[in-house]
Amino acid sequence: MYPCVTVSSQEKLTEDQGIEADVAEELAAEQREISVAEFFEKNKQMLGFDSAARAVVTAVKEGVDNSLDAAEEAEILPDIHVEIEDNGDTYTVVIEDNGPGIVKRQIDKIFGKLLYGSRFGKRVQSRGQQGIGISAAVLYSQLTSGKPARITSKTRSGEAHRFDVIIDTDTNEPEIVDEETVDWDRTHGTRIELEMEANMRARQQLHRYIKHTAVVNPHARVHLKEPKGEWSFERATDELPDETEEIKPHPHGVELGNLMRLMAASDSYSVKGFVQNEFTRVGGKTADSIEDGFRDRHLGREPSWNVPSGVEQEIRNAVANKGQQATAEFARLTRENMGGKATYSYVEDAVDDAAERVEEEFDKRFGDKVREDAVEAAWRHVTETRAETVLEHLEAATSDRKDPEALEELSERIAAKFDSDEDPRDRFTLKELRKAVRDSAASVEEVTEESFGDTAVENIVEELWTMMQTVDDDTPNVQDIAGDRNQSRALLEAMRAADVMAPPTDCLAPIGADLLEAGVRKEFDAEFYSAVTRDASVHGGDPFVVEAAIAYGGSLEAESPGDLLRFANRVPLVYQEGACAITQTVKDIGWKNYQLDDEGLPRGPVVLAVHLASTNVPFTSESKDAVANVPEIEKEVERAVRDVARDMKSHIKSAESRRKRREKERVISEVVPQIAEKIGEVTGRGTPPVEGSMAKILNKLYVDTEVDGDEVVLEAANYSNSNKSFELHCFVDSEPTLVDGDDLDVDVVDMDDEFDVVWRAEVSKGEKETLRYMGEEGMVSVDGVEDDLVEVRS
Amino acid sequence: MAADDVEMTKEELDDRTMGQLLDIGEEFYRQFERGEIPRLEIPTRSKSNVVFDEDSGVWVYGDKVSSRTANSVGGARKLLRMAYTLEFMRNQIEENRSSTLRELYYLSESWGDAQFTGQGESDRLIEDLEIVGDLRRERLHMRPEEDGATVIGPLYLREQTRRGEREIHCQEDVGEGGYQIPSDVDQVEFLDADAEFVMCVETGGMRDRLVENGFDEEYDCIVVHLKGQPARSTRRLVKRLHDEESLPIVVFTDADPWSYRIFGSVAYGSIKSAHLSKHLATPEAEFVGVQPQDIVDYDLPTDPLSDNDVNALENELEDPRFEDGYWKEQIELQLDIEKKSEQQSLASYGLDFVTDTYLPERLDEMGVA
Repeated sequence: MYPCVTVSSQEKLTEDQGIEADVAEELAAEQREISVAEFFEKNKQMLGFDSAARAVVTAVKEGVDNSLDAAEEAEILPDIHVEIEDNGDTYTVVIEDNGPGIVKRQIDKIFGKLLYGSRFGKRVQSRGQQGIGISAAVLYSQLTSGKPARITSKTRSGEAHRFDVIIDTDTNEPEIVDEETVDWDRTHGTRIELEMEANMRARQQLHRYIKHTAVVNPHARVHLKEPKGEWSFERATDELPDETEEIKPHPHGVELGNLMRLMAASDSYSVKGFVQNEFTRVGGKTADSIEDGFRDRHLGREPSWNVPSGVEQEIRNAVANKGQQATAEFARLTRENMGGKATYSYVEDAVDDAAERVEEEFDKRFGDKVREDAVEAAWRHVTETRAETVLEHLEAATSDRKDPEALEELSERIAAKFDSDEDPRDRFTLKELRKAVRDSAASVEEVTEESFGDTAVENIVEELWTMMQTVDDDTPNVQDIAGDRNQSRALLEAMRAADVMAPPTDCLAPIGADLLEAGVRKEFDAEFYSAVTRDASVHGGDPFVVEAAIAYGGSLEAESPGDLLRFANRVPLVYQEGACAITQTVKDIGWKNYQLDDEGLPRGPVVLAVHLASTNVPFTSESKDAVANVPEIEKEVERAVRDVARDMKSHIKSAESRRKRREKERVISEVVPQIAEKIGEVTGRGTPPVEGSMAKILNKLYVDTEVDGDEVVLEAANYSNSNKSFELHCFVDSEPTLVDGDDLDVDVVDMDDEFDVVWRAEVSKGEKETLRYMGEEGMVSVDGVEDDLVEVRS
Repeated sequence: MAADDVEMTKEELDDRTMGQLLDIGEEFYRQFERGEIPRLEIPTRSKSNVVFDEDSGVWVYGDKVSSRTANSVGGARKLLRMAYTLEFMRNQIEENRSSTLRELYYLSESWGDAQFTGQGESDRLIEDLEIVGDLRRERLHMRPEEDGATVIGPLYLREQTRRGEREIHCQEDVGEGGYQIPSDVDQVEFLDADAEFVMCVETGGMRDRLVENGFDEEYDCIVVHLKGQPARSTRRLVKRLHDEESLPIVVFTDADPWSYRIFGSVAYGSIKSAHLSKHLATPEAEFVGVQPQDIVDYDLPTDPLSDNDVNALENELEDPRFEDGYWKEQIELQLDIEKKSEQQSLASYGLDFVTDTYLPERLDEMGVA
């Protein structure tokens, strides 16, 4: 529950992100010889306590992460109070939660050894993966203030206890130096008080961390009190995030050290059993293919040579004293079994099978010696024409333009490489085969005009490798492999090469587009929001999900670079923005295409939030402030950001077009009547009617009433750019009679003191429809079309 | 219109103009009545829509049409200005007043939403009206800003001034400055033109030289000072002297590409006023000089051609106005020698050289005098 993962060596980390466990073990060994304090001093930067300013942020972060995890695990909606008190010389950092509380015996576990984390290597999405652990904060506090950490806690059932805890820097064990039962008004929860050397110069980062925590944990209520004031961040949902499940590692995501350790700890005997038991997504078929892959890499494949004629005679010659008839039959059967192509194992099988059948038929014993002689004779004969087989494959693998003589030369040289004293079975691993082909090609280039480039060599290797057969020797047992680095590596390669289904993604708990949007919405006052949760993807063997949210406009600052909020497993990343793959990906997007100024980051009234949830978030360094450049992750980040940016763009565009429309309407409705008035003056004919022209100019639905004696004509002209369906009501005092209204959907509704002519009309863009009735002119209104898109003239 | 403009009285002209203005207003009225979007179609006034009319030998607008419609905010404002301007014009003609383009621009200050944003806009609107109503701005009582140029020579005319009719002889009744061409040339009636030809002169210096040397008297020549790119009234006067008095027109300018364009606008019209070419252009006008050939023949003092000059000459080679053997030869020659000369460089042979030798020789070659 309270993890702490540490490493000592930055170089090792950059070389291989996934070897935390190895390093931790090495460290643990090393640790016995140096003091914890010394270790801490050496690694302050990595632990996030390199400055008095940052120490506050790191301590709060560790405490809040733990509190959130604890509350969620107990299915409690988190309610977290953070307080920073200025004591003059020192500061006290307080983190209080409404979690389940802890009892005395858990103190050990929680403030346990600095160097052991419970979580490393586990495939589960958790906040704790990122933290160094609260124990580092406790240690920092103790080293700088000389005071113990004060922990107050109450479980649902028990009383509230207060423990003063120090970490013994000799034994690296927590020690309770004082303890008492206290009154506490909380029903359950934990409060940690750490006094430390600190300052508030990183106030901005602290506020960012708290605010971003509120964004990404919309189910949490967070309260911050510091010397300058108090801030509350209310929850936006009562929904707890889904619980995450731990999954076994995926064959594509495992590192050599981990694999060796897993093997050492495994009860499995065979490779097949081991990969099936210890890894996710490995069934019988996949296990077979991993095992075969391991054989290919560890034992090599055997070439399948053409069987030349005359092999029967060779076998007969090799058999003595078995009678002519039995010998002939043995040779014939062996030949038949061998067929047209044979590997060494195949020859052995052919001989054994023939021997058994002949023994039965002729009641003569064909013992090991006879069989061995027969195998040797047959194999000697088969391998005499290796070059022919190789040539056939060379011809298939190279272009017609290669010089035939050079190819022949090459095939002889490659064939000769197979003829080794070390292994009479002609076995090669892929590496050995490649070397054989490459060396042969190089030597042929020296004696002929022909050259064999990398592609040609690779094609030949592939062709020959395909011709060669995986052997079915037993594989070494798992414990033996675990003890041999080369064999382990061969297995690792086989696992990586195998076709394995992507890991399950139900171990991830993304925030979800709706909640992420709600989180951004409650902390940023904008006019537009959008969020997306991408489908899960995989990097290495770890599943991950990227989510993004955007807020635009409103009271967001327009004349500054947009704000980018980065999150990994629901934890805000507040430092090292520039080094983070998320930042770099966002910067690489051309923001001009999304109606924002492009200054790397978008400039304008915009806030972007990007959340990466994974069982293993790859960080650039152990301080875990920046996501490393992993192409699969970058691609997903880009897609997620582009998704929400696209939404924002269409919002901007439609807002822009609404604004333009309103502006046009405003000006037109001022100017056009003036034109009409002036034209009326110029012509001396009085002001002409403007409604029709106006409706056309403003792309409106225009309803006009014409009265011709007793006949009233309602004309609906659609000057808009889209088809319109609407309900037109015309209220008249006396009952009207419809004229030719058969093809229209019209009802006359008696409403006691008046009549409502209800016309459900559909008018295509640019078209007109008319309704005629006998009666008096009525009051017309239109339902189903926005008010400012209709013009009714009476 | 035009051809008979000069025969109509001012009242008749004004009545006709009023009718043309009302027609425009009526068309807008009808559009409102029919519930249509008010619109006005006008030939596009851009270089791409100006074509050289081979038949009349002048520049006219092509078939491209631009619409001023109330369908956009800008378009609606333009039409509002048009409506105000129509009313203003109507009043101006009724009251027998006149104004300049600049005055119109300032007047619009009191028009509220119809106020012009700049003089360019009001100028264009007057051009729109000229084209749509087939009217000239003089008929709208709009006066040009620039001074009319001057005429000196054996021409006797009657001008209707606001202070009554005046009969003027352009040699005997004027000082050395000559007769000032009024803005509305159609208010001038030619009584007698005892002249052999009309000479249009680009520069004031050369015009004064001809007058001082008595060229107009000696050769019975009407000397018209163009003052650079000639005003409409100047071109209209030249056109009428040619059409009504059957006088040959010759143009005398510097030997540089810009001066050839002055000749071009006298003879064939300009892009800006292509709708008026038939009133203003005199395709029969001929170029006296100074020709590039003269630079060579007379070994005149020169300046080198600038890059702009070279570009202008090359453009003229593409220009249909200069698309004949004579101009092609002269322009290519000038590009070849890379030199230009001013009219007054002829003074390198003495002050009388131009009147005693150069012009008589050139006019003789051209068969004019």
